[in-house]
Amino acid sequence: MKAAEVAEPAVGDAYLVTRAQEGYIDAYEILVQRHSAMAYRVALRLTGNHHDAQDVAQEALIAAWENLTRFRAGSSFSTWLYQIVTRRALNKVSRGRPASSLELLPDVADTAAEPAEQAERHLAVDAVTDALLALPFPQRVVIVLHHFEGLSYAEVAAVTGSTEPAVRSHLFRARRALGKTLEEWR
Amino acid sequence: MSGPVNDPPPGRQAARQLLGAATLACGADVDLLLEQVADGRGGDRDAHQQQCVHCQAALGEFTTLWSPVTELAAVPVSPPHGLVAAVMTQIRILVRDVWYTLEVTEIGAIRIAARIVAALARDSARMIPGVRVALGRSTQGTIAALTERATLGHHHPHAVVGVLGRTAVVDLAVAVTYQDPVHEVARDIQRQVTATLRDQIGLRSVTVNVTVDDILGDDER
Repeated sequence: MKAAEVAEPAVGDAYLVTRAQEGYIDAYEILVQRHSAMAYRVALRLTGNHHDAQDVAQEALIAAWENLTRFRAGSSFSTWLYQIVTRRALNKVSRGRPASSLELLPDVADTAAEPAEQAERHLAVDAVTDALLALPFPQRVVIVLHHFEGLSYAEVAAVTGSTEPAVRSHLFRARRALGKTLEEWR
Repeated sequence: MSGPVNDPPPGRQAARQLLGAATLACGADVDLLLEQVADGRGGDRDAHQQQCVHCQAALGEFTTLWSPVTELAAVPVSPPHGLVAAVMTQIRILVRDVWYTLEVTEIGAIRIAARIVAALARDSARMIPGVRVALGRSTQGTIAALTERATLGHHHPHAVVGVLGRTAVVDLAVAVTYQDPVHEVARDIQRQVTATLRDQIGLRSVTVNVTVDDILGDDER
């Protein structure tokens, strides 16, 4: 028999969750590979600290495994994981230390911009990071989930256990607060 | 939050004044204008906005104000190296997945973790044409109990079920491509996996249980 290329897993999260619930650990490993970047990214933006974000992402992915039997069929694994990550991040920041804004920015080479322009842009982006971390946690969550992760109001509501009008209302307040802080930096 | 903003001055003062107001002089809602910009729809102006200088000025001001947020949101964030491995190591400890195959030679014992057997079986199955995904697990339940009883003589202190001595029973869950003959794919998997485990690990007795639990179209994910 002619061997084919090793196939990339070509199945959805629901299939993998079901198999993981049956004890196929490598099904869960594929889920971790798929979603670890999201878990870390959200945790980093909510905590503002690389070490805390790493802890939160790791704890959340393990907690998801431990509670897999409680995962409801038909719901979205990523929505569920967003919930766990945001709760863990809240626990972390509520007992944590002050965050450093610089750690929110990975090193990304920008060869197109002149050094002065680049520095100015980094300052502006630093300002966003600081402004984000200065928001009350619930407002930070809706900004991160909607504007950074691209979740719809309905999805943010599902993650936060809220309603779409409440999410929209939180976003109105959060945008104004963020805008006022950014305006001071200009 | 104050009432409507009339003719806003340019620059910083304008943004501050806008963010402190509920509506513009034209009656437009400031929150909705900021939402429009923040959601990337600042350029999609309705009939009123195309004619209204107040709305155009506010949309322009908010676009400038919000651009660093959009920029930060677009910055890629890579997870730290080793995060997946750290998570999976912890999970394997939680499920006590430390069963071993065992061979005792005159110069010592060779132990190979059951998860390695399962991973080799899975990777071997994934090489078969028509297999879209293959997941391996060490056996559990009835078959595992039978294996345990059958191989009791080779019981290793750390071996609970599944892979004992040079005997292994591996469960594979696979999804195959639509239109491939399922039973032939399943038999190919059994033959290939058995050969792999015998050749690469030296297992003598290999049982490969294949469960085909999904059939996928070419574009399905």
